[in-house]
Amino acid sequence: MIFSFRLMFISVIQVIITASITFFFVTSEYKNLSNESLKTLQTFMIQQKEQELKNYTVIALSAIDHLYESADKDNTVTQSLVTNIFDRILYDNGNGYFFVYDDKGVNISHPIQPHRVGKNHWELENDKGEKMIQILIENAKSGGGYYRYNWVKPSLAKETEKLGYSTYLPKWNWMVGTGVYLDDVNKQLTTIQNAIGIHINKTKHIILFVALSSIFAIFSLELFLNFKHKRKSDIKINELNQRLINLQEEERRRISRELHDGIVQILISIKYNLEATKMKLTKVKVEYPESLYTGERNLNTAIHEIRRISHHLHPQILDELGLSSAIEALVVEFGKRTGISVSVKKPAVRKLLPDHVNTTLYRVVQESLTNIEKHAHATETTVELFINRRWLTLTISDNGNGMPNIDNQPETPNGIGLRNLAERMAYHSGVFDVKSTQRGTVITAKIATSSFSNYYGRSNLEVVA
Amino acid sequence: MNDVKQKVSVMLVDDHPMVQDGLRACLSFYEDIEVVGSTCNGGDALTEAVKLEPNVILMDISMPTMNGIDATEIILEKLVNTKVIIFSMHDSVEFVTSAIQAGASGYILKDTTSEEVYYAIKTVLNGKTHFSGSIANTLIKSPKKLENEKLTTREQLILSHIARGNTSKDVAKILNISFRTVEAHRRNMKVKLGLNSLAELVRYAVNHGLIKK
Repeated sequence: MIFSFRLMFISVIQVIITASITFFFVTSEYKNLSNESLKTLQTFMIQQKEQELKNYTVIALSAIDHLYESADKDNTVTQSLVTNIFDRILYDNGNGYFFVYDDKGVNISHPIQPHRVGKNHWELENDKGEKMIQILIENAKSGGGYYRYNWVKPSLAKETEKLGYSTYLPKWNWMVGTGVYLDDVNKQLTTIQNAIGIHINKTKHIILFVALSSIFAIFSLELFLNFKHKRKSDIKINELNQRLINLQEEERRRISRELHDGIVQILISIKYNLEATKMKLTKVKVEYPESLYTGERNLNTAIHEIRRISHHLHPQILDELGLSSAIEALVVEFGKRTGISVSVKKPAVRKLLPDHVNTTLYRVVQESLTNIEKHAHATETTVELFINRRWLTLTISDNGNGMPNIDNQPETPNGIGLRNLAERMAYHSGVFDVKSTQRGTVITAKIATSSFSNYYGRSNLEVVA
Repeated sequence: MNDVKQKVSVMLVDDHPMVQDGLRACLSFYEDIEVVGSTCNGGDALTEAVKLEPNVILMDISMPTMNGIDATEIILEKLVNTKVIIFSMHDSVEFVTSAIQAGASGYILKDTTSEEVYYAIKTVLNGKTHFSGSIANTLIKSPKKLENEKLTTREQLILSHIARGNTSKDVAKILNISFRTVEAHRRNMKVKLGLNSLAELVRYAVNHGLIKK
């Protein structure tokens, strides 16, 4: 039992360790993998955006190409025509637009924030201390470049990350820029990251579930095995107990017989020897000495006492005349001793039962009568032994005030206890039942007729003569 | 038999030789009684009784092989003129009624005096019955009549043979008794059990577990 508990403990620990290792391994692998693919995805999406920006810029520049190529260096008319065109090129629901600054940082055109036009933004800084306009101009001058910075997104009216692309119109010293906002990219990435988190959670739950159900299975199996083992050992203990009781009864019967058929018979023979002595003395006309009388008296006491002990150990009537006669004798003696009116009903046949069953049923009657005498305050008792096709039924009923429940009945030091009787009956494949009300108690013990129908024939038919 | 010159032949059946010797010693003081034989168990008593045909048998109950009551019944099937007195330590009324059923003429307790033994022998020889004082008292006090409803050991044995399909003739052969004895037992059983036919007897035997279904 202790061993098996230890085994269970080890199994549970192992399950927990395996589950934890699996969990950490799987989740970290998955996280690494996902982070890598996330980065790839991000790079890919940014590249797409960059390509997009380039394309928009190419389209925008081709729209002004015919004006720009033919214009002079300082043709303000053409310049305002060009800014008009730029102002009208809007894409991505108005979030995409073109802005123009000169190489000194003065804003020339801005369709979304017109208040910037004409003002110098050379020194405009973001949180990181980057001079944004300067960087854009620098990128433009070096042949076009990308720059990520924060700017107000028109549709949200608040700052988000922006990917800007700027290019240069060298004839006019203009920097033309446009940009896309990266918040939707980031949003997409977050969604994916969330999905990964959910997935990891799910994995965690699955592993947890598998681990818990394994532990549960181990526990149930253990419980089941334990239960089975306990039941097996209970049955074994009960069987052993009954075998001990049978041995005890056997021993009591043997000692009872030794006393009754051995010692008592010797004492009887001594008695007759004393009698013969007396007759001899009479013949020779000698008076009996007093000690002869005392000896006879004491001898009678001894015989009486030994017979009482013998009967208490095991009633010989059970072996000689069978159960019903033994019950009858017991009941008659009980009635005489207690003054309770008793009646007995019994079948015309006898000696049908094997010895152990006989003894058990006899003990049932004995214990029931003891209970009635001690607790029931009954005035009438009926003991009935009855055989029909299926059952041999023994009932002991009284009109007393009932008895405490069979299970919490106190074990009397001398009595056998009804619970033990129930176990003994069960051992003989019998049925034992106690029905107790305030108007009396009925104790029933039953043995299947089929279980003993072979017994009489086997033990008696050989008797010939 | 009452003739003083004609000695009464007595047979002792007791599994304890010391008791036999003590009783023999006592009875030897009565000149009209002669102990003609003794056996130590019920089984031997059957053959010995048939051989000796004693007037009276003093029969113990608790003995190996066969108890005294069963032996009494079988002996009396054959020896109609022999009287049996049960001579036992058992004082329960059940033993007494069973002995009477088996045909015993008397029942005396072993712790009685040899005078009573002598008296009982003489009484049963006259065709009367004799019971030890305390037993007579129990018989009178016991409200119940002698149980006629209970089958004797012999009857029950014959019933089980019949239930196995044996005819009265078969049973007589098996038990080494006369056909008429078997028939008489059958009649008695029917009366005791309140049954009328062979079929009812067989069914009774089966229902009470005397033989296997």
